[in-house]
Amino acid sequence: MTSEPIVRLEGISKAYGKAQALHPMDLTIAPGEFVTFLGPSGCGKSTTLRILGGFETSDTGRIILDGQDVTAQPPEKRKVNMVFQDYALFPHMTVAQNISFGLELKGLGKAEIKQRLDEVMSFLELAPFATRYASQLSGGQRQRVALARALAPDPALLLLDEPLGALDAKLRGQVQMELKAIQRRTDKTFLFVTHDQDEALTMSDRIVVMNGGRIEQDGTPEDLYFHPQTRFVAEFIGATNLIDGTVRGLDGAAQEVVLDWRGIELRGQAPAGAPQTGQEVSASLRLEKIALGAERPATRNAVMGRIVDKTFLGSRVAVNIVVPEAGDALLRAYADSDVTARLGDAPVWLGWDSHALSVLRH
Amino acid sequence: MTRNGRVWLSVFFWAFVVYLFVPLLLMILMGFKDSKFIGFPIRSWTLDWYLGVFDNGEVIATFGYSLWIAVASTLISILMGTWLALLLSGRRFVGRFAVYALTLLPALVPGIISAIAFRIYARQIGIEPGMGAIIWAHAVHNVPFVALVVMARLSTLPKSLGEAARDLGADPLVTFMRVTLPYLKPAIIGASIFCLLLSFDDFVRSFFLGSYEPTLPVLIFAKLRSGMSPEINAISTVALILTAVLGVWAERSSRRMNREN
Repeated sequence: MTSEPIVRLEGISKAYGKAQALHPMDLTIAPGEFVTFLGPSGCGKSTTLRILGGFETSDTGRIILDGQDVTAQPPEKRKVNMVFQDYALFPHMTVAQNISFGLELKGLGKAEIKQRLDEVMSFLELAPFATRYASQLSGGQRQRVALARALAPDPALLLLDEPLGALDAKLRGQVQMELKAIQRRTDKTFLFVTHDQDEALTMSDRIVVMNGGRIEQDGTPEDLYFHPQTRFVAEFIGATNLIDGTVRGLDGAAQEVVLDWRGIELRGQAPAGAPQTGQEVSASLRLEKIALGAERPATRNAVMGRIVDKTFLGSRVAVNIVVPEAGDALLRAYADSDVTARLGDAPVWLGWDSHALSVLRH
Repeated sequence: MTRNGRVWLSVFFWAFVVYLFVPLLLMILMGFKDSKFIGFPIRSWTLDWYLGVFDNGEVIATFGYSLWIAVASTLISILMGTWLALLLSGRRFVGRFAVYALTLLPALVPGIISAIAFRIYARQIGIEPGMGAIIWAHAVHNVPFVALVVMARLSTLPKSLGEAARDLGADPLVTFMRVTLPYLKPAIIGASIFCLLLSFDDFVRSFFLGSYEPTLPVLIFAKLRSGMSPEINAISTVALILTAVLGVWAERSSRRMNREN
């Protein structure tokens, strides 16, 4: 493995007529990474994937794959394989023939094809289905055949275009784990596209959140979840409290932004490119980052509130809290059920650290 | 549906079956009549007329001639029709609708008109009447059926199938040969059978464009003019059975292929 990136996208973009599907974008992917493009439909994630696969041409920029400029290459020349959303298994071929297809076209000898075929089929537990046709397989089996067929030619990069979309919810969870395990064992670079945030959080080493043909944020799942940079990311991934306030100033020593939230002073973490004093900003505060208690907490931020609504969720309770000092603003938080029972209807203290409050970029 | 409705429907159905099959049955029966003239009553029976069909060099040769024309014209229509279907289903181009309309036109022109037009045109450009001319006319007439059947199948071909082939290293030609064509196979086989039957059955075009060598329908027509005899019934019955067997076999095999896909 080298430290050279396996993929380098330099300013690729795509317009369909007047609609800009993808604004010029740069991205590098390191070997062995599991990267997910996450976003709603029409965000440009599939377009980017198809440009990498060679099914769409980029209007601008270059695509460097494994140190080689492949911008002008057709799909058959690229060392990239794709798992299609509908699996695209060849209906007139058996499982074994489907998997061998790419090996034959690579010009491998008969013995080599047989060896690689057996290897891939036993790895994905497909041997019992070798002579079956796609129409004789279940959804999960088809998905594995599609994966086997794409992995067999040993591509430098594997593209996966929402390959779990057609599976039912129960099977999907299981296949997510399998897919992640397969990626670890093969040490391949996976580029996965999905609109499902849970799927992205579960499997990825790194998530690229896209919206309106642009990258919103690029980071680890933890990073995106706890430190969203934009309002879109904060809202798209998980549930959050969005707090709108005015910047009072920057506390350079603590690297904190001091916010005025309807008269209450809050301290939060600055995004890349710190905001100006006096600017209106939003900040994201995850529900589970708020600690509830009867005493004033020692955290950087502390406000008084009153519980107005509780929803029992089993392992925890979701509570709606009104903060009278902030003009009856509503905050949502999670708490243990015994904590909420103990608090009853009495006023409650809410506390959170400054790094739990992510000030968002504008 | 009411009970009454069902009864009426089944009455109509059986009336239709009788209407369709009684003439055929009569034709088959008359072939067994031991007499020179067609008509009831049948006093004595014979197999001579049927045996005579396989003994008659002229009939056998005509059979072969018709079959040869059917196969050749079918091959040409399949090539042309499939090519046109691919062209029309592919990327949009200027004049696409005109090509589409021209492709379908031969199916819409009445047989007698197209036969006369072919005859005149053939004379103009110096094509001799005979096998070549008949094959040409049959092929043109059959192209629209091939194009329609293949286009219908192509419309169900997922775009991702071709992309997957390209992705796995197949250039456009290999993709066509190994993925698109096998996908079209049931449609092409079905269209072939249909073309074979259309050509084998054709009278008007064969009559106008033929030379002295007749195709089977033309031979039967010629024999009719020299007087009805059970020989004609026997020839027709053999032809009927052969085409029916071909038709049933084609239906079954295309259904099997559809199940596999």
